[in-house]
Amino acid sequence: MESSILSTIGTEIIGVMSPVSICMLLVVLLVYALSPSNPFSSASSEPIRTAANLVYLETPSDTAAQKLEGALLNALVFVILIAIVTFVLVLLYYYNFTNFLKNYMRFSAFFVLGTMGGSIFLSLIQHFSLPVDSITCFLLLFNFTVVGVLSVFSGAIPILLRQGYMVCLGIIVATWFTKLPEWTTWALLVALAVYDLVAVLAPGGPLKLLVELASSRDEDLPALVYEARPTSVPGNAGIRGSSLGLLVAGVSDSGSVELQAVTSDNTNQRGGENLANTEYMDVTVGNAVIERGEGDREEGERSLLVSNLRERYSGSGSSEHSTVFGNQENDIVVNEEMSPLVDMMGLGYEREEAGRGGEDNPVIGSKGIKLGLGDFVFYSVLVGRAAMYDLMTVYACYLAIISGLGCTLILLSVCRKALPALPISIILGVIFYFLTRLLMEPFVVGTATNLMMF
Amino acid sequence: MTITAGIGYTLLAIGPSLSLFISVISKKPFLILTVLSSTLLWLISLIVLSGLWRAFLPLKSTTWWPYALILLTSIAFQEALRLLFWRLYKRLEDILDAFADKIAKPRLLLTDKLLIALAGGLGHGVAHAVFFCISLLTPAFGPATYFVEKCSKIPFFLVSAIIALAFVTIHTFSMVIAFNGYAEGNKVDQLFVPVVHLVAGMMTLVNFASGGCVIGIPLLYLVMMLTLFHCGKMVWRRLTDNPNRLVNSL
Repeated sequence: MESSILSTIGTEIIGVMSPVSICMLLVVLLVYALSPSNPFSSASSEPIRTAANLVYLETPSDTAAQKLEGALLNALVFVILIAIVTFVLVLLYYYNFTNFLKNYMRFSAFFVLGTMGGSIFLSLIQHFSLPVDSITCFLLLFNFTVVGVLSVFSGAIPILLRQGYMVCLGIIVATWFTKLPEWTTWALLVALAVYDLVAVLAPGGPLKLLVELASSRDEDLPALVYEARPTSVPGNAGIRGSSLGLLVAGVSDSGSVELQAVTSDNTNQRGGENLANTEYMDVTVGNAVIERGEGDREEGERSLLVSNLRERYSGSGSSEHSTVFGNQENDIVVNEEMSPLVDMMGLGYEREEAGRGGEDNPVIGSKGIKLGLGDFVFYSVLVGRAAMYDLMTVYACYLAIISGLGCTLILLSVCRKALPALPISIILGVIFYFLTRLLMEPFVVGTATNLMMF
Repeated sequence: MTITAGIGYTLLAIGPSLSLFISVISKKPFLILTVLSSTLLWLISLIVLSGLWRAFLPLKSTTWWPYALILLTSIAFQEALRLLFWRLYKRLEDILDAFADKIAKPRLLLTDKLLIALAGGLGHGVAHAVFFCISLLTPAFGPATYFVEKCSKIPFFLVSAIIALAFVTIHTFSMVIAFNGYAEGNKVDQLFVPVVHLVAGMMTLVNFASGGCVIGIPLLYLVMMLTLFHCGKMVWRRLTDNPNRLVNSL
């Protein structure tokens, strides 16, 4: 009884928000350190050619109409490319090329960490004039990359390391994306938000298919996904007791957000860089569905998801489950925090389930919220782009994105199905960026430089 | 030197709130969410206000009354927003209590309520510091500094950091006072907060006179001290009034 509910509510939300915040913070710092206004990195000022600006290459002298048209075209082409790649992935997954997919993911992780990360590393070394010889540098980079590749899909890696590498991947890709020209970036972000919405929610959307397929096979998504599992035992008996209490009370369904990563190749035609690593978020609600699945197993399309999840989580499912997720699962199972805040919205039908959940306890909470790497990337791209204007827009965009993420997580508990994480956050972020830039900045600068504050 | 100066200004402005955040807030996820949402609320209020005033900007820097008008409307708007925030919190408190009952955990204690109020105030304060001071600090990391005419002895960044520190403190603790005042129905506390906010805002008007910041800033800190003292006294009274409820999770 010694801990109040303040310390239990919202743990999962914070578990997702903090890595996203870290990712954004580091991208902003990188953008500041390596921005072209810096005399050291001015060599790279010539625009890069990637899949994201295949059609149109922005030059500052173009008129606004030209820029807008070109940016829209770029975004369209990019989204179409991503859609195609995603469908190919779904097809491959459908025909059980899982190993191929996993190796492909490993390869792309290698490529991203090695080349893109390497070039960022090099420019950092140049910028801060660190004295490092090439052999040491190469060894460091190689080791870093190899560990990263290993951590992507194997179970025996500490979860903290894997989470760290996921954030690293996000940072690297996002930093590359911030090199796109301004108009293209904005068009691209909005287009991706819309695409995400369609791909996850529309019937037949590729990501929806993929998530359903993965859950029907009782497998992990073959994609780069950040798992917000607690990294260590909280070491606090109060917390442990409390989550057990929650479980016993049957308030145990924590929605899990599954985000799925789709890696798409954008071949940089000049440098041969592999640029895009884009994923989208889907949210699968695990446990809630299980409990509901009791009665209505044959309920159309849904029952597929339901029954499988149910097997996965109930009784005998626990062994399968732990093999899927790796060994460390068992130790921390109990500590996987519920998200009462998320659950609160679903109070209605949890009552009916009270009393259930005795034996299923250990597994029920064990699947935390998952967020696709793509969401990390594009949140950070937005913030990084905002960082090129001013710090004020950075803060505004950060707050908007985080609150959008919070809204998505709350919606997740209401809807109890896979949800896209990009749309709300990106739209809020874009709106706040322009409001801040056009309205707030002159106001604040005007008053603050006269030392007027309130 | 330049980066050191930038970091120094930043820490001067939000250092105390940063340590408050790390030592008290960050251990309880719900409080972090409260800080974030109250920061967002403050940002929205700022955007709405700037939307209202955008048409009249930029103001001439020779007359002072338009600025007084800006301050007046802004403070009125933000105090109205505080009421809204209180309503929201009230509803949230009911939900939390119901939830605590359901999972057989203690309801919100007095200290919990005070903590939530503190988190809400911290959100407002940090938002103030971030938008009025830190976001203007970008040039401070560069190889130069900036002086404003009216206060030509001290660098602008230093002045704004000092003022921001006063406002962070005022915002943080006046929220505690306000929430407590609303909860107890104490009219004095309810009035105390807008008055303090208004007075503090008006103190910055003194900066408008040439060299006024030498007088304005000490006055502002006087107001800050008053707020702190009042808040401390009030919290002490609440905590000692009912010692049986002192069992808390701080």
